[in-house]
Amino acid sequence: MNRSNRIVLACVYWAFVLYVFVPLILMILMGFKDSKFIGFPIRSWTLDWYYSIFSDAEILYTFGYSMLIAILSTLISVVIGTWLALLLEGRKFWGWAVTFGLMVLPALVPGIISAIAFRIYARWLGIEPGMGAIIWAHAVHNVPFVSLVVMARLSTLPKSQTEAARDLGADPLVAFLRITLPYLVPSILGASIFCMLLSFDDFVRSFFLGGYEETLPVLIFAMLRSGMSPEINAIATIALVLTAAIGIWAERFTRRTNKESQL
Amino acid sequence: MSHEDSARKNHDDIVQYSATRPFWGRLTNWQPYRLLLTFATASPRRQFIILAAFPLLWLLTQHLGPMIQMARVSLLESYPVAQGAPQNFTLDNYIRFFGDHIFWMPFFRTLTFAAVFTFCTLILTYPVAYFLARHVSRHNQMLMLLILLIPFWVGEIVRTYAIMILLGNTGAVNLALKWLGLIERPIPFMYTSFSMGLGIVYLTALYMLLPLYSALEKLPKSYTEVAADLGAGAWTRFRRITLPLTIEGISSGCTLVFLISTGFYATPVLLGGPSTTVFAETIAGFFHYAGDEWPTGAAFAVIMFAAALFITGLFQKLMKALRRGDTK
Repeated sequence: MNRSNRIVLACVYWAFVLYVFVPLILMILMGFKDSKFIGFPIRSWTLDWYYSIFSDAEILYTFGYSMLIAILSTLISVVIGTWLALLLEGRKFWGWAVTFGLMVLPALVPGIISAIAFRIYARWLGIEPGMGAIIWAHAVHNVPFVSLVVMARLSTLPKSQTEAARDLGADPLVAFLRITLPYLVPSILGASIFCMLLSFDDFVRSFFLGGYEETLPVLIFAMLRSGMSPEINAIATIALVLTAAIGIWAERFTRRTNKESQL
Repeated sequence: MSHEDSARKNHDDIVQYSATRPFWGRLTNWQPYRLLLTFATASPRRQFIILAAFPLLWLLTQHLGPMIQMARVSLLESYPVAQGAPQNFTLDNYIRFFGDHIFWMPFFRTLTFAAVFTFCTLILTYPVAYFLARHVSRHNQMLMLLILLIPFWVGEIVRTYAIMILLGNTGAVNLALKWLGLIERPIPFMYTSFSMGLGIVYLTALYMLLPLYSALEKLPKSYTEVAADLGAGAWTRFRRITLPLTIEGISSGCTLVFLISTGFYATPVLLGGPSTTVFAETIAGFFHYAGDEWPTGAAFAVIMFAAALFITGLFQKLMKALRRGDTK
């Protein structure tokens, strides 16, 4: 009974793996098709679409633009998210629950509503749509993810460590910089990678807050609305390989450092 | 040891400390730093204020601010307010939604779709999470979970496009069906609620899988083993033990997925058709122009957010009641 259950569940798991992988694999294959027409079957193969991307300055510029936005917004989110985590973790104060609720708010607001709320607020602040506005919106949206990850890590830091540092004469700031912060580094790095991926992949905020320059997802969206072409597949494949590689690397990195600090 | 001696020893310690750790020693002995630190740590209260002031200001101006500003604009008669003109507040933007039934269709469609897609995601991912948490060894669990994470690092637009290629008239599914001889003409999967559903479930599955997995993983195996010893069948064990004890995971997963599903804009635009227009597209329509329609758009967004929060709140209450009922 248990055995047959197990087999059925294993089949469900592998079917799910197929469901999440097959569309992406097909999309990658289509980027090598030697025809402008999107569709199966694929009879002959080519690398032309990749050549045309790497010789297209505009597309390369869009890649760089998206990455720059991802890095700058992540820097802001990481500083503020960590600061919030230090305030919230292991401390009880009047209004804690409300503060926590406000902290996670940007992650819970549905995409379209968050995008237009940012759009309205940016206009009120006098921020023109464009790079600055996108960086700001991504930074605010990503803060909760940093805070939650850092809070989880901070809760595992034994209190005795900072107390020992204080007993040995370190002032609170030195104790923080030399004990707490190094302990948090793996989680901060993991959270930054996650933020960069969120920012790089984000469509709805970039779409509503963008100026004339497009981020990569907005560019792909615009291309898709005017028709499908294997060139889009090639662009999407590069974006996919980039994000997946960074994600896997970050996952391995945080796992390794977590293991080391447990020893 | 006299007082003087101990003072000298202390001084020697500091000098030694500075010598081995030049940076930290120099910093802690630096006069302005010491003054600043004495000022900041004078009382626990002051220390807390210094720690809390900036993050709280950020939360109020950056997290809450956009929401409040959206609510304010939704009550304005016209936007932007002309120079020198008074701000007139009105409920007209809200009345416009309730007065015109062409807005109701996408509104209720969005909520229904989100509920149905959330349910589908739950049904699809529960067995996957169950398998990972209960039937896989600890070491393999992480690996098999990691495999599932990879596609979810890929962006919304890229994954939506992948679904378009899968389901198109010359897509892989139609090709396979034709090759199997099941169909002669391609089935038009695209631009229907089916293609949209498949795409949205694809995008949200992870947000359901992770809470379910962590709830199931926390559940001790001994609980179901004891029940089995006492003669409970597989179905009874699942219904009376596993399900009630993972209701928290179900509840948070469903809430998350429901909220995310109501907010999708690009996926319905790309995968849906005229018969599947969602409320996000209605709201976005008001923002394509310079600003005169913004108050209406803001009001509609407020209505949708309120409705989504109301439904998830109701759902969580229901789940709580269920849990209490079952453990009695």
